[in-house]
Amino acid sequence: MVFPGLLTGTPAGLLAVLAAVLAMCAALVHLGWLPPSALRVVTVAVVHGGLLAIAFGWAATTPPQWRPLGPSVIIILVLAVAATGTRWDPRAAIFYLASPLWLTFLALSGRLRALGLRWEMPVGGSLLGLAAGLTLGGHMLLAAAVTFGHRVTTDGLVLAAIAYDAGANVPSSELFFRGALFNRLQRRWSFAAAVTVATAVGLLRYLVDPLLPRAPEIIVGTLVYVTLLGVINAWLLWWSGSLLPGLVASLVFFAAYRMVAAV
Amino acid sequence: MIRRRQTAGLLVLGGCVIAVAVLAADATAQSASPWRHAYALPVVAGALALGMVGGSVTALAALMTQAPTLFVRVEAVGLGAGALDELVSAALLLVLGPLLGFCVTEARRQAERYATVLAVQETLADERPLPQALDALRCRLGGRLAADVTLAVRDGDDWIVAGSTAPTSDSAAGRAVATTAAVFVPDIGHEARPHRLLSAPLSVRGETVGVLTVERGGELPAGERRALVALALHIGAALENARLAARQRRFADELAEKVRAATDRLAALDQAKSAFVAMASHELRTPLTALVGYSELLATRAFSPDEVRRQAEIMRRQTRRLAAIIDDFLDLSRLERGEAPPLRLADVAVGPALTAAVELLGGPQRACRVVLDCSLEPIAVRADPHALERILVNLVSNALKYSPTHTTVTVRARATSGTVVISVEDAGRGIAPEALPRVFEPYFRAPDAVGRAPGSGLGLAMVKALVEAHDGHVHVESTLGIGTRVTLQLPAVP
Repeated sequence: MVFPGLLTGTPAGLLAVLAAVLAMCAALVHLGWLPPSALRVVTVAVVHGGLLAIAFGWAATTPPQWRPLGPSVIIILVLAVAATGTRWDPRAAIFYLASPLWLTFLALSGRLRALGLRWEMPVGGSLLGLAAGLTLGGHMLLAAAVTFGHRVTTDGLVLAAIAYDAGANVPSSELFFRGALFNRLQRRWSFAAAVTVATAVGLLRYLVDPLLPRAPEIIVGTLVYVTLLGVINAWLLWWSGSLLPGLVASLVFFAAYRMVAAV
Repeated sequence: MIRRRQTAGLLVLGGCVIAVAVLAADATAQSASPWRHAYALPVVAGALALGMVGGSVTALAALMTQAPTLFVRVEAVGLGAGALDELVSAALLLVLGPLLGFCVTEARRQAERYATVLAVQETLADERPLPQALDALRCRLGGRLAADVTLAVRDGDDWIVAGSTAPTSDSAAGRAVATTAAVFVPDIGHEARPHRLLSAPLSVRGETVGVLTVERGGELPAGERRALVALALHIGAALENARLAARQRRFADELAEKVRAATDRLAALDQAKSAFVAMASHELRTPLTALVGYSELLATRAFSPDEVRRQAEIMRRQTRRLAAIIDDFLDLSRLERGEAPPLRLADVAVGPALTAAVELLGGPQRACRVVLDCSLEPIAVRADPHALERILVNLVSNALKYSPTHTTVTVRARATSGTVVISVEDAGRGIAPEALPRVFEPYFRAPDAVGRAPGSGLGLAMVKALVEAHDGHVHVESTLGIGTRVTLQLPAVP
């Protein structure tokens, strides 16, 4: 059995274009020709879209093979439109939900099978993912409230943030760090090695995220919870063979995360 | 089933941790709850029951449960003695759980490895053909290792395979055989969960005799791979032991069979020699009695010249008979020493030799008729005349001895390419098939012949020895109730 290389299928051209767009946008913002919010919009589309594009590219290398460029461009555009709309009106965050719909369509067509998204729904695994998300999220809310005295809020902005997580943050993280990276690594190395690398890279992505609050307790909490979430989701994928339990766990956890007023 | 038990166990332990957390909720900002030490119970129980996973998860759960109140205390009163004590307690739990769990897991793995090696020895110790033994071993290993197992063992140029398929040059098993080193494939397909495969050669004294292939949907960690390589060596040694034991048993059986045959043969020989001694005493005593009796008569009484001549003729015949018996004994003794009988070769005409033997033994006073069927052209053989006479007289007298009255003994001679074939055929009772291969053995007499006719059991043995000394050969055919034919071939005079 011949396996693709670790980076086989990476859409280098598309990533280069995305990087160029991001750089150009940053320059224009720096020159004052574009508002700072434009950089935020482009960053969301480029980072999450780029991660999803890589995941699509890697998924397309295993049979049945398909051309990932079109679906990648579509999801980047969806994210860009949703991010742009949200800057004008938080209610436009609902456009983020077009992203999971598009992913569902791709999954039903069998193109995301290599990432662990397929027609069959693992009920037991999904319930376990729900329990994991509730446990971690509940613990985080408890710790935030009891230890640090943060308020728990459920206003409209929370819903907009949850929509952002459902359409961009959670899918890009799970499809890339678990579905693509961990999946590819575990076919070369042991589970422990694969989960360590995939979780470490995922952690790095959150630490460099400009949207993450810079408060020390938030950074430490993120380190702990995202590490635990990464390990649990990788185990759920290994155990159930499906990415869905991890998506459920992440979604529930990030929903709780968004309820912390400090975030 | 195991996974369900593990999940249920973890849930129970989680419940215990929460129960301890409820008990420990009486902690204040200034003082830690003494119940915090109760966290050790589910952590130790988790490690003992579920190994490293149980110990780690329970310890993590205990830490996560303590963390919110612990940080509140640190924030409220700083890192004082109480907070430090609680921090150390929590940290100890985090060390204790995984460490104890690791020890438990390793101990269980080690016990499992010993049990697996024992299972291999037990399976291969059973006496059964190799394919069945391999199949049984494959089933046992598959159950113990929770994996698909294939065993392939060389059988000359072929493979005896228990499991999927024989090793090929492009398969992992084939590469393991070619390189005499274990081959690990991290994933053999595109299933959701990776399928690990390990092929380890079965080696005996540096030679690869087979290959063990283990395929599992899930993890096959490095420690387990090393254990499987060691297990393959055990299997190779056990296979070799089983093979050697089987060979030893076969040798022992063969040896016992040979000893039994030799014992039987010695017993038969001993019996034959005893019979021979009795027979020889009788055979020697008969002419001696005649000689003693007639010599005493001649010495003590006066007879007419004709009567003296008759008695002298009888004494001469008995003397020749005595000499012939002694000649046979001497020749037999020589044969037993591995020496060929002394021959003085000459060109001997077969026709006259046969006629002389027939006339000597087949006189009109005989109850059986002797017919000579000899081709018209003169036939000659290169032979010792005296030996040839003994051969022919032995064969014809044998045939007459075992022929019923009023039957015919036929003596034939003909020349074939370079040889002269002489056969003596009677219409007697024949020889039993089981006795036929032994009729040329010294002292042997067919069981049904003993008591029917006198004989030493040396005649046919002497015939064979003499014929073979002439570079000829002799064989016997017989059918019960129809008769016996002895055929000999001697080299013809060119």
